[in-house]
Amino acid sequence: MFNQFGSTAETLSKASAAVLRIGTDAHLYDDPEDVNIAPLLDSKFESEKCEALKRLLALIAQGFDVSNFFPQVVKNVASHSSEVKKLVYLYLLHYAEKRPNEALLSINYFQKDLGDPNPLVRAWALRTMAGIRLHVIAPLALAAVSKCARDPAVYVRKCAANALPKLNDLRLEEHASAIEEIVGILLNDHSPGVVGAAAAAFTSICPNNFKLIGKNYKKLCQILPDVEEWGQILLIGTLLRYVVARHGLVRESLMLSLHGLDSNGFYEKDGVVRDERDGDKRDLFDANLVSLVSKCYIEGPDEYMSRDNYGETVAASFDSKETTSVGDNEDVKILLQCTSPLLWSNNSAVVLAAAGVQWIMAPLEDVKKIVKPLLFLLRSSTASKYVVLCNILVFAKAVPSLFAPHFEDFFICSSDAYQVKAHKLEMLSLIATTSSISSILREFEDYIKDPDRSFAADTVAAIGLCAKRLPEIPTACLNGLLALVRQESFAGDLESVDGEAGVLVQAVMSIQTIIERDPLSHEKVIIQLFRSLDSVKVAAARATIIWMVGVYCSLGHIIPRMLTTITKYLAWSFKSEASETKLQILNTAAKVLISAEVEEFQMLKKIVLYVLELGECDLNYDVRDRTRFLKKMLSYKLACHEPAEDSVASHGNIAEHVVEHVFGRKLKPFSPLALHNRFYLPGSLSQIVLHAAPGYEALPKPCSFVFEEHDHLSDSARQREARDDLNGSQESSETGDEDGSSEYDSESYNGSDFSCAGDERNDANDANDPLIQISEVAVSTDQEELRSKMALDLWLDEESSSSNQTPSALDRNQSSYAKISVGDIGSRVNPKSYTLLDPGNGNGLKIDYTFLSEVSTASPLHVCVEVLFQNSSTEPILEVNLEYEEAKKESDSAEQTLVGKANASYNNVPTLIRMEELNCLEPGQSAKRLIQVRFHHHLLPMRLSLHYNGKKVPVKLRPDLGYLVKPFPITIEEFLATESRLPGMFEYSRRCTFTDHVKDTRMENGKDKFLSICESITLKVLSNSNLHLVSVDLPVANTLEDATGLRLRFSSKILSSEIPLLITITVQGKCSEDLNLTVKINCEETVFGLNLLNRIANFLVETSSSASS
Amino acid sequence: MLQCIFLLSDSGEVMLEKQLTGHRVDRSICDWFWDQADSFKSLPVIASPTHYLFQMVRDGITFLACTQVEMPPLMAIEFLCRVADVLSDYLGGLNEDLIKDNFIIVYELLDEMIDNGFPLTTEPNILREMIAPPNLVSKMLSVVTGNASNVSDTLPSGAGSCVPWRPTDPKYSSNEVYVDLVEEMDAIVNRDGELVKCEIYGQVQMSSQLTGFPDLTLSFANPSVLEDMRFHPCVRFRPWESHQVLSFVPPDGQFKLMSYRVKKLKNTPLYVKPQITSDSGTCRVSVLVGIRSDPGKTIESITLSFQIPHCVSSADLSSNHGTVTILSNKTCTWTIGRIPSDKTPCLSGTLALETGLERLHVNPTFKVGFKIMGIALSGLRIEKLDLKTIPPRLYKGFRAQTRAGEFDVRL
Repeated sequence: MFNQFGSTAETLSKASAAVLRIGTDAHLYDDPEDVNIAPLLDSKFESEKCEALKRLLALIAQGFDVSNFFPQVVKNVASHSSEVKKLVYLYLLHYAEKRPNEALLSINYFQKDLGDPNPLVRAWALRTMAGIRLHVIAPLALAAVSKCARDPAVYVRKCAANALPKLNDLRLEEHASAIEEIVGILLNDHSPGVVGAAAAAFTSICPNNFKLIGKNYKKLCQILPDVEEWGQILLIGTLLRYVVARHGLVRESLMLSLHGLDSNGFYEKDGVVRDERDGDKRDLFDANLVSLVSKCYIEGPDEYMSRDNYGETVAASFDSKETTSVGDNEDVKILLQCTSPLLWSNNSAVVLAAAGVQWIMAPLEDVKKIVKPLLFLLRSSTASKYVVLCNILVFAKAVPSLFAPHFEDFFICSSDAYQVKAHKLEMLSLIATTSSISSILREFEDYIKDPDRSFAADTVAAIGLCAKRLPEIPTACLNGLLALVRQESFAGDLESVDGEAGVLVQAVMSIQTIIERDPLSHEKVIIQLFRSLDSVKVAAARATIIWMVGVYCSLGHIIPRMLTTITKYLAWSFKSEASETKLQILNTAAKVLISAEVEEFQMLKKIVLYVLELGECDLNYDVRDRTRFLKKMLSYKLACHEPAEDSVASHGNIAEHVVEHVFGRKLKPFSPLALHNRFYLPGSLSQIVLHAAPGYEALPKPCSFVFEEHDHLSDSARQREARDDLNGSQESSETGDEDGSSEYDSESYNGSDFSCAGDERNDANDANDPLIQISEVAVSTDQEELRSKMALDLWLDEESSSSNQTPSALDRNQSSYAKISVGDIGSRVNPKSYTLLDPGNGNGLKIDYTFLSEVSTASPLHVCVEVLFQNSSTEPILEVNLEYEEAKKESDSAEQTLVGKANASYNNVPTLIRMEELNCLEPGQSAKRLIQVRFHHHLLPMRLSLHYNGKKVPVKLRPDLGYLVKPFPITIEEFLATESRLPGMFEYSRRCTFTDHVKDTRMENGKDKFLSICESITLKVLSNSNLHLVSVDLPVANTLEDATGLRLRFSSKILSSEIPLLITITVQGKCSEDLNLTVKINCEETVFGLNLLNRIANFLVETSSSASS
Repeated sequence: MLQCIFLLSDSGEVMLEKQLTGHRVDRSICDWFWDQADSFKSLPVIASPTHYLFQMVRDGITFLACTQVEMPPLMAIEFLCRVADVLSDYLGGLNEDLIKDNFIIVYELLDEMIDNGFPLTTEPNILREMIAPPNLVSKMLSVVTGNASNVSDTLPSGAGSCVPWRPTDPKYSSNEVYVDLVEEMDAIVNRDGELVKCEIYGQVQMSSQLTGFPDLTLSFANPSVLEDMRFHPCVRFRPWESHQVLSFVPPDGQFKLMSYRVKKLKNTPLYVKPQITSDSGTCRVSVLVGIRSDPGKTIESITLSFQIPHCVSSADLSSNHGTVTILSNKTCTWTIGRIPSDKTPCLSGTLALETGLERLHVNPTFKVGFKIMGIALSGLRIEKLDLKTIPPRLYKGFRAQTRAGEFDVRL
C-alpha cells in the first residue's frame, strides 16, 4: 500500500500529510494520476485493480474523461471480488454510451451473472446491463428484465422494475407492449417493495394505461401503507389519476363545490359549513378561483388559459354523469381511506401527495384534515419548507379559511430564507381575518424594522394587500404607513443604505392601493402625501405621488384648490428630477389642464406651457418624445382661453376625445386574479416553477376510462399461470434463457404477423411452383455444397461402416442415405418468407419476400431479395413498383458507427436496385421480382415505398441477419486456425434447445439417429441463413442414444465488412429427446456477431413444420 | 426522474458527479448555477435554461440534483436530505475533506441509494449492511493488508422482507431498548416583549438492540397534548388512530420513531431583555438574560447571537459573564453557559453608526440557544414501553432533553 508514496523526498511530505487521513481514499482523490493506471488494471491482484478503479473514479469525480481505459476496465467485469465488480459497474455505467462497441464485450458476463445464485449479483448485473442503454442489446436486456421480474428475490424484482424505464427510454416501439406487460406483472407483485418500484415504472412508462391499475386497484390501495416511501409518492398520484379517469370527480368535493349540481341539495350542506365558521363569508372560499383551480387541474392551465373565454366557461358545470360521490363509490372511499394515514408519514413528499388526493377528492368537510400535517411540514428542511409553502399558498388562495386559524405558523423566524419569508408574508396577507389582523399587523410592524430591507419593503406591500382585503382596518394601516413615509424620507437621505428606497416606494404604493378603494374618504391622506413631496427624495416614490396628483386632481374640495400651487412646485422642480419623474410630471400636467376649473385655467395653462418647453429640450429622448406628443395632443386646449369654451368650439374634435380617453379616464378596479394564477397539480414541479414542465400531465378527463371486467378475469388468470410456472421451474438458468429467447423472438424481430405469414408463404409456394425456388437456392450454394459434401461424405463413410443400419424408409428424395449429399439438403432448404404487405392493408395486394443466398450483382453490400406479389382481390392491380424512401435522419449513434464501417466505395451504388415494374397483376395472379437491397443497419428495417394503382404506401423491409453474411468456404484446418485467433472477447456463446429432430427420428425409424439430427440441424441453419458447412464432428466414444459431442461448424463472412464469422454448434443430450445446443460465434465484429448469435439461437428453438416436409 | 447529482464544495468546486440516467448532464450546469445571483441561487427549485435544479445545502456542501422532466420536487429534496443524512452518518460529519477522502464510499452509497433516478435503498440499516461504514478497524485493516472490501457480498436480509427496516434475525446477548425524548423549543418574542408564539417540536428517538422479531408498544400518559405527528414507517397507523398507542416492530439500532409538535406553550424558561437607544451616531446596547420559569433542571449552554446591522461601522460590546465574540461577517455571539446564582448576565456596549446616520432605523433579532437535560418542556410523558414477548435480560431506559430551536427575541 505504501509503495505508491514512492521513496523520494518530496513524496515523503505527502505521506506524512496522509497519515492523518490514513485508511481513507484521500490520496487517490488528491493525486489520482501519480501512478500509471493501465498496468494496475491488468494486475492479477484484486487490490491493485481496485486501486486503479478508484483512481479512475476519482478522475471521473473531478470531471476528467477517462473513457480511454474502457477496454481494460471491461475485462475486469469478470472479477469475483464484489468491490471490483461494483467499481467496474460504476465506471461502465458512466461511459457505456460513449463506447458502445466495447461495452458489448461485457454482456456475456452480465448474462452469466444473471444466473448467479446470489441475488445481489443478479441485481447488480441487471441494473448495469439495463443501464448501459444500447439499442443493440435492448432485446437481451428486455429478456433479462422479464426473467428477473419473476425472480424469487424481492430485491431483484425491484431492480427489474427500476430497469424498465431504462429500456423504455431507448424508445423501441417494438418492445413497448412487452415492457408494459412486465409493468403489469410487477404491479401485481405481492411484495410492497416491488409494487413501489413498479408504480414508479408505470408513471414513467405508461401513465395512462389504466387497465393495468384497474386490475389491481383494490390490492394496490391495501398495500399502499406498506409500500416504501418513494413508491408511495408516485403510487398515490397514479391511484388518484385512475379514480378520476374511472369515476370522475367527487360531487361533494371542493373541486365541484361551485358547479351547479342542483339535484342533490349540495348548497344546503354548504350553508351548514358556512354557519359553522365564524368568519365572514368572504373568507370561506373564493368561488371563481376554486373552479378555476379545478379546471386547471383537469385541463392544464396552458390549454385552459389559452381559450379566450375561459372567464365565462368557469361557470359551466361538469356533466353530472362525470361525477361521483364518496357515499356510493367504493373506489373513491378506499382511496381516501388509504391515503389519509399517510398524512402522518415521515416523508414530506408523501404527506404532500396524500394531501393532494384529499384536496381534490375528499368531501368539503374533510379537506381541513390536511391543514395540520401540511403546517407541520413547515418545520422540515429549508428547501422543502419552500416547496411546501408554494403549495400551501395555492390551497390558501382558493380556501383562505382553511389556514386562517393557523396564522401564527406563518410568523417569520430570523433564520428563514428570503423566499420563504416572502411566501409567508403573502400567506399572512391572504389569510388575515378581522380577528387575526391586529396580531398580524403587530408582527408586520416588527418586520418593517428588519435589517433585510427588501423584506421590509415586501412587508409594506403586504400591509397594503391586507388593508385592501379587509376594509375595516385601513385607518390604522394608513397612519402607520404615513408615519413610515415620513420616517423613511428622513432615513432615505442615505443613498448608501441598500433597499432603503424600496421600502419608501412600497409604502407609497401601499397607500395608493388603500386609497384606490375609496379615495373620497381618504382625501386628507392624499393631501398629506402631496405635502410630503418635498421631503421624499426617491424618484420612484415621487413619481407615484405625482401620478396621484394627476389622478385625484378633481377629487373633493381641497385638492383642486391646491392644484395651482402643486403644479407650480412641479414646474419648478422639473429640471432637477429623474427622467422617470419628469415623465409623470408631464402626464400630470396634461391631466391637470384638462380638468382645470375656469378661474385657474389661464394660470395652469402658463405653467403647463412652461413645463412643455422645458421638456422639449430635455436630454432624455423619452422625455422629449412625450413632450412633443403631449404638445400636439393638447394643442387645442393650449390654444383656447377658457376651459369651457373648447367643448363648444371644437365640437367633434377627435383630439379632444382622444385626450379625454387617455387622461381623463377614471381608474378601473384592477383585479390581478387572472394574470398570474396558474395552477398545476399539488406537489408537482410545474406548480413550483409556474410553467408546465416537460412530462407534466393534468388529471385525466373524468370518466375517460371504461373498465372491462372481462379483461380483468382473463388477465389475472393468465398472470396466475405465469406465477405457477415460476414456482414450478424455480429459476434454473436454462428455462430462463428459453423464456428470454421466446420473448425476444416474438417481440423484436417480426412483429405479431410473423408465424402466420410464414405459413401462408409456404402455401403460396406450393400452389405456385416450388421447384423454381428450391433450384435457385441449390444453384447459389453450389460451391458451398461441394465442399460440404466432401466433409459430410468423409464422415458418412465412417458412419456407414461403423453402423450397418441400412435405412429403409427414407425421404422420397433420396434412394440411399449413405450417399447423402448436401445437394439434397440444398434442395430441401426452404428459406423463410416474410410479409411486406398483407392484403388487408393493400386492397388485396399481398407481398411476401424471401432472402436469397445468391450473391448480388450490384455490390458486395447488396442482398438479393425475392419479392412475391399476389393479387388476391377481384380487380387487376396496375403499375406495381417498390422504391426506396430517403431515410429520415435517424440519429442513432449505434447505427452511425456501424454504417460508417461500410465500404465507402460502394456508396454510389443506390441503396435499392429497382426491380422491373409490374404493369398489371390480374386477380389471382402472382409474380416474382428480384430486388437488391443494401441495408443501412443490420437490425433496423428499411423504409420502402410501394406504388400501385397510382397510390404510395410506406412499407418496411426488415433485414434477416442470416442473409447479411455470405458463405466463406474454408477447410477445417483454416477454420480452427481462424478460431484460435479470435478468442476471449471475440467469442460468445448461447445455449438453446432443439426439437426438430424428434419428429424426424420418430417418423423414420430405421434411419441413423445421428444422421437425422445432423441433417435437421443443418437444414434448419441453412434454411435461415447463408452459411457454409465446414465440418461435422462426431465423438468417438458414444452410445447410440447419446448425441453429446456432435459438433457442426459453419463459416461465413459479413457482407459489409468481409470479416470472417465462425459458428460452432455443439450438441448435448439424448437423440430421442430435446437436445441442448450450444451455439458459439467467433467474430471480430462483436455487435453483429452477438445479434447473429441470438438470431441463430432463436430459429433453432423455433419448431417449424417445413423442416421435414 | 433525477438525471444527475453533483456535490459542490462551498467554493463552488464540483467534488463529485454521479450520472444517473443515460441523459448525461454536463457539469457546466454547475458553473451556470454558481454564477447566479444569491437570491436566485438560494431557491431550492431552479429552472435553468436546460434543466430543473433541486438544491439542498448542508454544512457548506451543496447537493445539486438535475432533471428535465416533471417529478415531485419534494421527492428530490427529501432524497437529497436523506443522502446528506446517510453521508454524515457514515463519515461522521459533512465537509469538503470528508467527502473527498471517502469519495469511493460516497459513490458506492449513491449507487445503492438511487437507480435510474429513482430511490432504491434508503433505509440506513440496510445500507450499513451493504456498504460497511469506514471505522477504525477497517481503516487499520486496509493499511495492514492493503485490501479490505467494504462492499458486502451478500444481500442484506432485510432488503426483501416486509419489514425492510429490520434485518430478519439479529441476535444479542443483552437486549436493550432506550427511548429518548428530544425536544426543541421554537419561540418568538416581539418588540414589546410579548411571547407571540411558543411551541415544542419534539422527536421520540429510540435505540434498540433486541433479539429476534420484537413487537413493541409505547404509550404516553398524556397523548392529548400532541398537536401534529409524523411516524417512522414501522409504526402501525391503526392502533394510533383508535387509542393513541404506538405499536411497531423497531429497526435495529438508532432511529427516529416519531416527531411531534406541541403548540401554545405559556412560557419560555429564559427571558431576554434587549434595549437599544441611539443618539447622534452611536447606539447604546444592553441585553439582560435570566431565568423566567425554573424548569427544575439546570439550563446549560446558553448562547445569544445576533447580526449587527450593516450600517454599524464598529461595535464595542462586553459582558459581565461569559464571552463575546464578533465575527468578520458581523455576527455577534455571546456565550453564557449557565446562569450564575449571584448576578444577572448582562451584555452592554456601544455601536458606532456609519457617518451621516443619526439613528439606527433597523433592529437586530437575537437568537437564543440553550439546553436542558432530563426534562421535556412540552410536558409529554411516556407511560410505558411493552414488549409482546419479553426476551431474557432486557434493559429499558428513558431519557429526555430540551434545547432551543428557533428562539427569536426581536428588538
